[in-house]
Amino acid sequence: MPSYNLYMGCSVPANYPNYEASMIRVAEVLGMELVYMEDVACCGSPNLRAMDYFGWLVVNARTLAIGEKNGYDIVTPCNGCFGSLKDVLHHLKHDPEDLALVNKELAKMDLELKGSIKVRHFVEALYTDVGIEEIKKKITKPLDGVGIAIHYGCHLLRPADVTEFTPSILDELVEVTGATVIEYPLWKQCCGATVLPINEPLAIRLARDKLKSMTEYGAVFATVVCPACGNQLDLQQLGLRDSYNEDYNLPILLYPQILALAMGMSEEEVGLELNRVSADSILDHLSE
Amino acid sequence: MAETKNKAGVPETLIEPIEMSSLDASFRNEIHSMPNGEELSACFACSTCTAACPIANQWKYKPHQLIRMIILGMRDEVLSSSEIWECLTCFQCQERCPQNVRVTDIFFDCKNLASERGDIPSSIVSLAKELLEKGQLYQVTADWEREDLELEPEVPGLSIEEVKSILKNTRTGKIAGDE
Amino acid sequence: MADPVLIIGAGVAGMTAAVELADSGVDVILVDRLSTIGGNALDLYKAFPTDDCFYCFEGNRDRPGIRKCFYRSAMIDQPNISLYVNSEVGEITPKNGLFQVKLDVGPVYVNPKKCTLCGLCLTHSKAFTFTSPQCQPQSVKYDPSKSDEGDKKAESECPTRAINLDAQPTEETITVSDIVLATGYHEMKPVNMDEYGYGKIPNVITQLELAQILDPNGPSRGKLVRPSDGASVESVLMVQCVGSRDENHYPFCSKICCVFAIKHANIIALERTSAKVSVVYMDIRTYDRHEKYYRDARDAGVEFVRGRVTRIESGDDGKLDIIVYDSLLDKYLKFNVDLFVLSSALEPPPGIHTLSKSLGLSLSSGYFTPADRASGNEVVIGKHIYACGGALGPAEVPESVTQARAVASKILQSRK
Repeated sequence: MPSYNLYMGCSVPANYPNYEASMIRVAEVLGMELVYMEDVACCGSPNLRAMDYFGWLVVNARTLAIGEKNGYDIVTPCNGCFGSLKDVLHHLKHDPEDLALVNKELAKMDLELKGSIKVRHFVEALYTDVGIEEIKKKITKPLDGVGIAIHYGCHLLRPADVTEFTPSILDELVEVTGATVIEYPLWKQCCGATVLPINEPLAIRLARDKLKSMTEYGAVFATVVCPACGNQLDLQQLGLRDSYNEDYNLPILLYPQILALAMGMSEEEVGLELNRVSADSILDHLSE
Repeated sequence: MAETKNKAGVPETLIEPIEMSSLDASFRNEIHSMPNGEELSACFACSTCTAACPIANQWKYKPHQLIRMIILGMRDEVLSSSEIWECLTCFQCQERCPQNVRVTDIFFDCKNLASERGDIPSSIVSLAKELLEKGQLYQVTADWEREDLELEPEVPGLSIEEVKSILKNTRTGKIAGDE
Repeated sequence: MADPVLIIGAGVAGMTAAVELADSGVDVILVDRLSTIGGNALDLYKAFPTDDCFYCFEGNRDRPGIRKCFYRSAMIDQPNISLYVNSEVGEITPKNGLFQVKLDVGPVYVNPKKCTLCGLCLTHSKAFTFTSPQCQPQSVKYDPSKSDEGDKKAESECPTRAINLDAQPTEETITVSDIVLATGYHEMKPVNMDEYGYGKIPNVITQLELAQILDPNGPSRGKLVRPSDGASVESVLMVQCVGSRDENHYPFCSKICCVFAIKHANIIALERTSAKVSVVYMDIRTYDRHEKYYRDARDAGVEFVRGRVTRIESGDDGKLDIIVYDSLLDKYLKFNVDLFVLSSALEPPPGIHTLSKSLGLSLSSGYFTPADRASGNEVVIGKHIYACGGALGPAEVPESVTQARAVASKILQSRK
């Protein structure tokens, strides 16, 4: 069975234990051995990159070096962590001078980054290592074709030469659960999470446009694979009732929740009660 | 560069041009040498970046104008602009640039230069402090939720001390300390 | 024996057509108004797309035994070519399916077939000049208006007896089967465009004038200097579409000036590295593979400003203050430069109206136009009348060469 360095970052454990729990459970059933990485740090997100590029390089290179030492690929459920780790690795592989500078810092912690490590989003590992066929075998309570809109998230898709992510993976992963993927025009658009600390009304507007586009094209649910995107699309919906006087009532599910339910797990096991916009109605779409 | 003196004097008009000689030509070279800034000069101002940007409509300086301003050497205008900090980092501009200018990455470079000279929004300073004090951006506040889901109450495997010690000696430490 | 072909204009297109036909056994009469042939290309030190010296173009290499340039010797030595310089085409009369053409032939003071460029005459008299080592035909020139006491001596001592000071203009009537119009284009002198100050303000020049400054064989030996005082140039501003795409001047795009200007900008930025170049443009039209020039220029640090010139002011120090509206930034920029270079429209030569009238042809935007646009034979202008190169509108060198070869092909087919 493949083993993985599980890099959680700080946001999923703090804000989305339901994401974490459903991911762990799904992985277990599918035979993926996720091993929590020890002694690793927060990636700092784009904010650290913005104010302190070198600090961002060292912090993430440290995580990469620890993973490299363990000998497994790193997987992460967070687009922010994924983007940071992928970008730092990409940069250091292409810039020997910076790699030398960073390794000088890592040497103080008895670490060295060689660059052999691979970083993947959890859904990538699910798709490529387990595969749709194997997943299909475990689906016991498929969805009834209900329409689900997918938000991939910016740092999963772009820059494509850095993330190397295939932007159809989630479509297949959603379809295998029996749901129908809802295509909508703003599927590539940002949820607004990164601008939240700088300009909150702008962040809310972006989330709102996204939700509007999803529902207008017939989405009954939406799914995300990032805590920051989840926060924007789920939690911010509650505020939209006040700021825009608009009520989308679009439940936002973390993808492993959908998969876990279709694999026959209970609503408690996937922490459905923690979803801010009630997602209980998904249970009505599961076949018995 | 000395300004040309005209015998009859410069006519008075409403046009107040930017003196090209007053701009900082080294700005272009500086960005050019920063991470992913190599393709900066390839920009031919087609404005695809602005067309791709979901929020440029709100901006005084559009993405293609910011790139032009960098090339012309308008250091102060770019580094003190609110636009570079509002950039969503969604990379749509960069992804669509027909000349492979890494627009989003270049705005990251600009933010680093702005941070270095103290042009940094207070909310980002707070994040710097948060990172330095707590070693992470988010803390678990509802550990019972985790326990209900049979997860460890704390963030598994998280190390905060090493991060603090790294960032204390890089620019983050300077930013948080300046306050 | 078949009647010869008349080619009017001995630039790139005319010379190519002449050589191609002559090599296929066709007699050619090649006429040029000037005493040195080569047309506009003569002024270019580098020509796109290869940046080679114009004289070293590709086709030259497959004529064994001839140094570098195939035009150089062919114009004089190819027995099927009769070259008339200093000559103009007069009346043209169609007769029995042929053309009877009057030629006003200028006096031949120096016989190019005999002149060896020994330079002896130059030591005796200032009336003799040697334009450039690349001039065609390869001979010294004599200007009778500068006649002095030394010229007789030069004539008598010329070792090859190439000089004839008593030469007179003559008139000839020739009969030809076909006429090839290779009359080229001229660069407009933008004297009527007040906003650019050309002809009034020093150091405001055109691109072809800049080409001469950049030419290593030119007066400054290729050093980039200000025409006003010879001071070296630190900064250059160029402006595109001067008189082109302008209903008040020429409505058409002159097509090659973007590449032309960028070529010069690259020469300055890459070979005269101390000088800064900025280019003001409305659209950059570096069509097809020439896009590479544009990209190279940006990489070399050439600054491109989309907009137009607001105003120009000259200073005592010979420098120019130029205010430019940058339409992308929506700001006005003020440049302080040594040289202001205008990418001026490429206009038809002055004689083209008379020529078109006498041939019963119509013009389009001042240039010759294909007889049947739908046919795809753009070089066929009328019955046994052809055009190539700049006669059809602004053209780059390779395009002129290709069209000239198309003309030769058409004529050879018609004689089969």
